[in-house]
Amino acid sequence: MGAFFRLQWSGILVGIIAGGIALALSAPAFLSEFNLFVLLRSICVSLLVAYAQMVMLGVGQMNLSVGALGGLVAVVTGGLMDALGVPTLPAIMIGVAAGGAAGFVNGWLTVRTGINGFIVTLATASAFAGINLGITKAVPFYNLPADFVAFGNGRVGLFPLLLIVPLLVTVVLALFFARAVPGRHMLAVGGNAPAAQLSGVSVPRAIISAHVLSGLLAAVAGVLAVAQLGSAQPTIGSDWLLISFAAPIIGGASLAGGAISIVGTLLAVVLIGLIQNAMVLVKVDPYWVQFLLGALILAAVWFNRYRAIKVGEI
Amino acid sequence: MDPAPRRTLTSLLLRGSTQAGLFVILVVLWVVFANLAPGFLSKFNLNSLLRSVAVDIVVGFAQMVVLATGGMNLSVGAIGVCAVMFSGYLMQVLGLPIPVAIAGTLALGALLGWLNGFAIVKTGVNSFVVTLASASLFSGGMLILTKAVPLNGLPAEFGAFGKSAVGPAIGSMPAIPSLAVVALAIGLGLYVLFKHSTLGRQILAVGANARAAEMSGIPVDRTIVFVHALSGALAAAAALMLTARLAAAMPAVAGDDWLLPSFLAPVIGGTALSGGIVSVVGTILGALLVSTIRSGLLVLEIGNFWLPLFLGAFLLAAILVERGRAAYVAREQARRA
Repeated sequence: MGAFFRLQWSGILVGIIAGGIALALSAPAFLSEFNLFVLLRSICVSLLVAYAQMVMLGVGQMNLSVGALGGLVAVVTGGLMDALGVPTLPAIMIGVAAGGAAGFVNGWLTVRTGINGFIVTLATASAFAGINLGITKAVPFYNLPADFVAFGNGRVGLFPLLLIVPLLVTVVLALFFARAVPGRHMLAVGGNAPAAQLSGVSVPRAIISAHVLSGLLAAVAGVLAVAQLGSAQPTIGSDWLLISFAAPIIGGASLAGGAISIVGTLLAVVLIGLIQNAMVLVKVDPYWVQFLLGALILAAVWFNRYRAIKVGEI
Repeated sequence: MDPAPRRTLTSLLLRGSTQAGLFVILVVLWVVFANLAPGFLSKFNLNSLLRSVAVDIVVGFAQMVVLATGGMNLSVGAIGVCAVMFSGYLMQVLGLPIPVAIAGTLALGALLGWLNGFAIVKTGVNSFVVTLASASLFSGGMLILTKAVPLNGLPAEFGAFGKSAVGPAIGSMPAIPSLAVVALAIGLGLYVLFKHSTLGRQILAVGANARAAEMSGIPVDRTIVFVHALSGALAAAAALMLTARLAAAMPAVAGDDWLLPSFLAPVIGGTALSGGIVSVVGTILGALLVSTIRSGLLVLEIGNFWLPLFLGAFLLAAILVERGRAAYVAREQARRA
């Protein structure tokens, strides 16, 4: 039990299991195949959004433009398919590449101008949202290829096809931060930038790479959101800010940088998805989701601190 | 061409503080917009510009006082919406007199801010995380309690104050809107606080170096709780001004919309995100710059949909120009020394 308590994400797992049991007992519809499919599908986009912010927290920075960037990629991809008739795969590739380029702009501006990354991404968020509105004039793109929309709604039993993408990304990210040199460099810079610089790590390059990676992840989230909704809505991404920070922080990431937990972030997204699902099942005012999410963040950071003191990390 | 006079002119423009640099950028923008679009200097446009910038200035102040300690308050907008709806509730549903309702609303803002500060100090968790969470708690709680129904039956005097003005209109210059006077009065109070009071110096000391401040006997925790309560009260003041301007209490007016302006005005104005440096005048000029760009682009009818793009790009450019100018001044001074 002690060893389990030492794990940063132990509290979240207990929360998920307890919540799942309580929900299964109080609302029998919870365990139906369709509801579990809906629950799993709802976490696909959130998970990628959370990873997009987690990468930035790893390098000790923030990306406030995660939502605006994902929304821009969503309408670019949708616009290519609908207005220009570009086939599915090239359209997705161009959209994701645009996300990476937008992330590069964030990183380049942060490193080259010396303006705080928080302010840079706050300003580029406004810029990306402006391009989004300028392209769409606030009108969604509806005519998307049937195979693309089918992928967004398809399932094998309770397993959504959409979930393949975030699971794949999870494995790649885990390997990247555990084994790859650029991943280790990012965490080193997040942990202690001057020390990393003195050890021969290029801090600017690590920060720019993290921004590009964050942009790519937000872009994939945007594409998945289009597939899931079946249309490229200009409002995609406008509500991602809270969840992008909530999941990695609940999962145990440090805002100071250098410490991230992929498993913790994954479990936090599942827990948040479970809460949202519960609100629908027990027919509570949807405003409670927002309220509970705030309470959950506070409870999680408080619990993590308590745990850290008990275990002797502080 | 003799380069000497031009050089003295540029050095004159380039010398001086961030605030002076901002002022120059503002004047240039006003001249450009006035020449491109005659409507920019119309009485109507200037009046609406001043009334909206008054709210933005106070929103900027609400963020500035927390930035002074090196913290952040992401719940400025959430406290704002809570205050908007609470003021509407006090005036319309309870029928309290306007001064009592104003005092009650400011007290609610201070209380919510105090809760932020209390949570930050007691848990030792970063202010970013705490206020991100409390923003969600506050606005979620407000929506649960009000069901997001706006209150339109506010006392007529309250809305009238939002439209009123002080002093005579001279030529095409409109009279100064009362809301702008309120913003300037709050600014004066904050200027005195930071320049001439022990408490203000202590706040800046905590922001510059919390550990050193603690060693010097400054009650760091109490100072942090105080700035958060002050930030909440200022957010509530901005909410009251906005409610007066719109003559209705609507739940969708502040919230996320305040996030960008709350940071831009102080940061453009020279307040450091790392803490220890604030500029009341800079925050006023920063808010004016943001509103000028927005108003100018609207008057020029540069596609409404593209507006956020230009706003983001212009603001980055303004920060960059100011950075470049400051670096140039530093180089010049080093060369002369």
